[in-house]
Amino acid sequence: MRRPTGLLLAFPAILVVILLAAVFASVVSVSLLQADPGGAVFHGPASLRNYTRLLGSADAWRSVSNTLRLSGIVTLICLVCGFPLARLLARASSARTRRMILFCLMATFFSGGVTRAYAWLIILGNRGLINQSLQALGLPSVALINNETGVVTAMLNFVLPFFVLTLFSALRTIPDTLESAARNLGASRARTFLHVTLPLSLPGVAASCFLCFALSLGAFLFPEMLGGGRVQVLATAIYDRIQTTYDVPSAAALAMLFLLLILCLLAVLGAARQVVTRRAT
Amino acid sequence: MRRRIDHARAVSPLAAAAGLATLAFVVIPLPFIVLSAISHGSYRLLGKGSPTLEWFRNFVTNDRFMAALGNSVSIALITTAVTLLIGLPTAVVVTRGTFPGRRLLLSLVSLPLLIPGVIVGTAALGFVAQTGIGPGYWPITVAMVCAALPLALRPIIANLSGLDQDQEKAARNLGASPLRGFCLVTLPQLAPGLLAGGIFAFIEAMDNFSIAAFLTDINTTTLPIEAYSYIRDIDDPTVAAMATLLIVMSVLIVMVLDRLLGLDKFLDLS
Repeated sequence: MRRPTGLLLAFPAILVVILLAAVFASVVSVSLLQADPGGAVFHGPASLRNYTRLLGSADAWRSVSNTLRLSGIVTLICLVCGFPLARLLARASSARTRRMILFCLMATFFSGGVTRAYAWLIILGNRGLINQSLQALGLPSVALINNETGVVTAMLNFVLPFFVLTLFSALRTIPDTLESAARNLGASRARTFLHVTLPLSLPGVAASCFLCFALSLGAFLFPEMLGGGRVQVLATAIYDRIQTTYDVPSAAALAMLFLLLILCLLAVLGAARQVVTRRAT
Repeated sequence: MRRRIDHARAVSPLAAAAGLATLAFVVIPLPFIVLSAISHGSYRLLGKGSPTLEWFRNFVTNDRFMAALGNSVSIALITTAVTLLIGLPTAVVVTRGTFPGRRLLLSLVSLPLLIPGVIVGTAALGFVAQTGIGPGYWPITVAMVCAALPLALRPIIANLSGLDQDQEKAARNLGASPLRGFCLVTLPQLAPGLLAGGIFAFIEAMDNFSIAAFLTDINTTTLPIEAYSYIRDIDDPTVAAMATLLIVMSVLIVMVLDRLLGLDKFLDLS
């Protein structure tokens, strides 16, 4: 391809990049300003006041630790629950089973976030399905929403299809003849799994856990809808600043700190993933 | 001998049961939404009385929902078209271009995929507030294009890099212009990638909550945002009826994909 043609074809994408750069430059500059109470106007002088205030705020640090803890929990449960399904998908002997599983995963995936968040409200709510059943049995009701249980359940439900499909595409590249060989040479199922399947699937596991953790860090809809304002993660903390006081500069500063945290975390985890992948190959 | 090999290949019954349990957990929200949509109240799943269509009627006669639906569908259609128009040349440059920095270009346009929607939304709000553009329909549409572009690019790039370039070269040698060679030889073979990319772009624009939440205003909302504000104010299954319609749309999309591409092939591309 000749160079002028290449540049011409790259032009739309370059425009998108320029727009992204302008937007992020603007938000950095907004984060240095102060909001007029109740107005959409920001005034200077530029200072780091928003940042110093946030770094000294216990609430902000609590939402950091909530974000990390919930993402860790979701990733861990995802791994335990998602692995068997991805393996079933990769090793199912009948094409029909596989097609059925893929169909269910994708139809759920495409049906959208609000759909599923609302479904969990119906199932877990204070007058929801589970609590009605408990009541019918004469048992005391349990609080399953407006707390971390509800948030983790809905986040898990959202992230699992991504996790399973990513792990599935890694698992199916492992030839099943290796497992057959181990079994035929007399290894038990557990031994085959521990010494053949597991080491070979580690790169795929690392990739899917990475994706799962990254998605959980940014989750907003589920903490917002099922947390009921009582589970504060970074995403909801940012949104709250705009909803309650329309303090865009402070929200912008928190968003930039969140971005910094994410970039550092993902760089470290990405490096860890590379180590796992290199070891395994 | 043959029996032993088969036996080694199959998943143990226990592991298979665990896998199916996970699948049940993933799918379980859908039937309950549908049940709720035809029940007489939010928490009376198939309680007394026959199924009702009241909530569907409520949804289609609610002006705010209809306006939000109109916005969402038109934003999603524009987003799909614009995303593919930007995505196709970008994919060609990234896979076949020669200029340095084309990898960097791909990483930069992929940033919205890595950065949480809330951060992108806050940044977009800061930008429209500072420049005086203000939130609304077009800012949402532009933001959706930026968010959908990396999603749409992946299948197009995967499709394009799997193609044999010799066919296009043959067309060129036989005298076709570069554009003609591309359009007549390569473009038809890119249909699967464009279909997959277009569907991702459409779904992203229809379903996005975290970016849109920052860019809607009193006059312009999208379906997910309107649904959330309805849930907060009113306790009836109208949103379940809306969600049921989305589930029907989703199942139809997956059926079409299965027919046209096969789900395996679709996964390979994405």
